[in-house]
Amino acid sequence: MTDMSAGRERHVHTSGTVPLISMRNIHKKFGSLHALKGASIDVHAGEVVALVGDNGAGKSTMVKVMAGVHMATSGDYEFEGKPVKITSPTDANELGIQTVYQDLALCSNLDAVQNLFLGRELTGSSFFGRRIQRAECEVRAREVLQRMRLGNLSLTRPVGAMSGGQRQNIAIARSILWTPKVVILDEPTAALSHSAAEQVGNLIRTLADQGLGIVVVSHDIHNFVVNATDRIEVMRLGANAASFRTGDVTGEQVVNAMVGGNEGVNLAG
Amino acid sequence: MAEAIKSAPPQVHRRSFGDLLTRDLRALPIVIGLVALWVFFATQSDVFLTARNLSNLLVQSTVVGIMALGIMFVLLVKEIDLSIAAINGVTSVLMAKLIVEAGLSPWFAVPIAILLGALIGSLSARWVTFVGVPSFVVTLGLGLALNGLQLILLPATARYSLNGTGLEKIALINIGGIWSWVVLAIGILSFAGLVFSEAASRNKAGLETPMMRAVVLPIAAATLFGVIVVSILSAHKGIPLIVLIFGILLGLGGYILKQTQFGLYLYAVGNNDEAARRAGVKVHRIKMAAFAIAGGVAALAGVIAASRTLGVGVFSGGGVGGGTLLLESIAAAVIGGVSLFGGRGSIHAALLGALVIGTVSNGLNLMGVENEIRLIVTGLLLVLAVSIDKLIEKATGQQSF
Ligand SMILES: Nc1ncnc2c1ncn2[C@@H]1O[C@H](COP(=O)(O)OP(=O)(O)OP(=O)(O)O)[C@@H](O)[C@H]1O
Ligand SMILES: [Mg+2]
Repeated sequence: MTDMSAGRERHVHTSGTVPLISMRNIHKKFGSLHALKGASIDVHAGEVVALVGDNGAGKSTMVKVMAGVHMATSGDYEFEGKPVKITSPTDANELGIQTVYQDLALCSNLDAVQNLFLGRELTGSSFFGRRIQRAECEVRAREVLQRMRLGNLSLTRPVGAMSGGQRQNIAIARSILWTPKVVILDEPTAALSHSAAEQVGNLIRTLADQGLGIVVVSHDIHNFVVNATDRIEVMRLGANAASFRTGDVTGEQVVNAMVGGNEGVNLAG
Repeated sequence: MAEAIKSAPPQVHRRSFGDLLTRDLRALPIVIGLVALWVFFATQSDVFLTARNLSNLLVQSTVVGIMALGIMFVLLVKEIDLSIAAINGVTSVLMAKLIVEAGLSPWFAVPIAILLGALIGSLSARWVTFVGVPSFVVTLGLGLALNGLQLILLPATARYSLNGTGLEKIALINIGGIWSWVVLAIGILSFAGLVFSEAASRNKAGLETPMMRAVVLPIAAATLFGVIVVSILSAHKGIPLIVLIFGILLGLGGYILKQTQFGLYLYAVGNNDEAARRAGVKVHRIKMAAFAIAGGVAALAGVIAASRTLGVGVFSGGGVGGGTLLLESIAAAVIGGVSLFGGRGSIHAALLGALVIGTVSNGLNLMGVENEIRLIVTGLLLVLAVSIDKLIEKATGQQSF
């Protein structure tokens, strides 16, 4: 844990740079339900932003708007300083925004390479029935995994025979295979042991070091959020409740902001 | 931190026996079982191991084997098609009607039957994917309806004889002498070509290729297997055309499943269709193709069956309800290692499963045992095969894929 926080200081963004993603005053209504009430978030290159909040606070809705799964009812969405209209996940992918959903969406009977390339295989001509160019896929997969410092992950074992942490890593590797600029992770550590969560934290840090912007939704405040992120956006009832630099707060203060207690009053104590 | 994330040197994956058993050697138990059956029947009957009988055994196994090969595609995508036997029956009766009553050449009637089979399969897939009725129900109902249609298509005599129409030749032609070896050489060369092209592209991409395990062994094994089979067949009459057809289908099927994008998608859809859909795989289309293949292949099996029995009738396609043809086709695939729960099974399943069922039937027949016993033994073998699989899974702690 300590080595993770040591790396952090270098990554706090300078407020002068243009954020990769800037969402302002986002509203989202599901019928009469007002899920987002003017929420905002910035994501800079090279930083890890945690999005935290109580159940139903609107975190998933916010990242779904970011990823093009939902369209905002109103609000501004800028990508690299330019206003954009994202109407589908494909739009988001084309801009360079990739999402890793909580259920990972992996096929347990396929190996890492097959999962990484699923739906986007490099293939030969259709005359030979689109034969998969396995060697080329494997080389690319190796490159990406090495870049993520996961070079020792087996490429040929079915992912169903791997641990939860390894699967999480493969799902993340899949999202960065096509060199995105932003990766969104919804609850990446929910099903993981403490040490596996730590590894995911390291992995996210490696990616941020390479210039990606990372958004992580997490409930694991005390271990994951306060150790593996740079900035914490707290949401409550569909709006921003607080914003912290990770190094400046304790887990208790974050939890306080989530549940709406007064800042500085330590409810946990 | 640098210490914590320093990438370890790529591990050399030494594979345990359990690893092998759940993957590369998944077929081992069934092969052992098959050999055990052969040893048993060889001790019970002097005729069993003769070239003539082994030839017959192979011929007797082709219809079920081809049907199993077709249904495998549907099982892989986690669906089932209970109408394949009925498709087999109704398309072969229609084909016979076209040949006998309309005077159509078998050269046209056979492709019509196969296309019709594929069409029927793709229609049930549409029903399954768009209306959302489980394939079990759709194809059960469809099978019964097709049985009825088959009876309507038949003449008052309840039978069309195909003797003298040219269609009977399919079952009569044998490729003998030097030609049987030419056929084998072509088969081995195609296989070797695939293996070499794969190794070459790996080398080109700078990946290390275990020469022995990835190139020499597979080609040697295929050659040995081919030489044994062709030697036995040549000692009798040569390679029966229908065995060759089965062999070609196995080769084609293996290529599709192992090498192509479509093949990969079958496994992906069968394992996690939601993941496949999100990855951009057109799940409906993959399922439709799987059902179409099963239907077309079932129709082809119907043509072969019609040729072997010199005609079609009420009995075609296993009779009403699909009879033993339907059950044995599905059982063959499952005995061979295809999972009913989708996403698992290799092409050799169709061959091995059909051989097991064919061996039991042939061997017990030689021993003069009643048909009833054959059903009991086949049924028990099915349960045994799946149980062994489960036990291996438990013992190694690994799920087989
Ligand atoms: N598709 C939808 N249709 C209708 N209401 C929705 C939909 N998605 C979310 N909501 C509602 O929007 C509100 C915010 O939900 P959201 O999933 O964003 O919360 P969350 O912060 O992710 O919570 P959790 O921590 O439980 O995941 C909730 O009241 C939820 O019921
Ligand atoms: Mg959520």
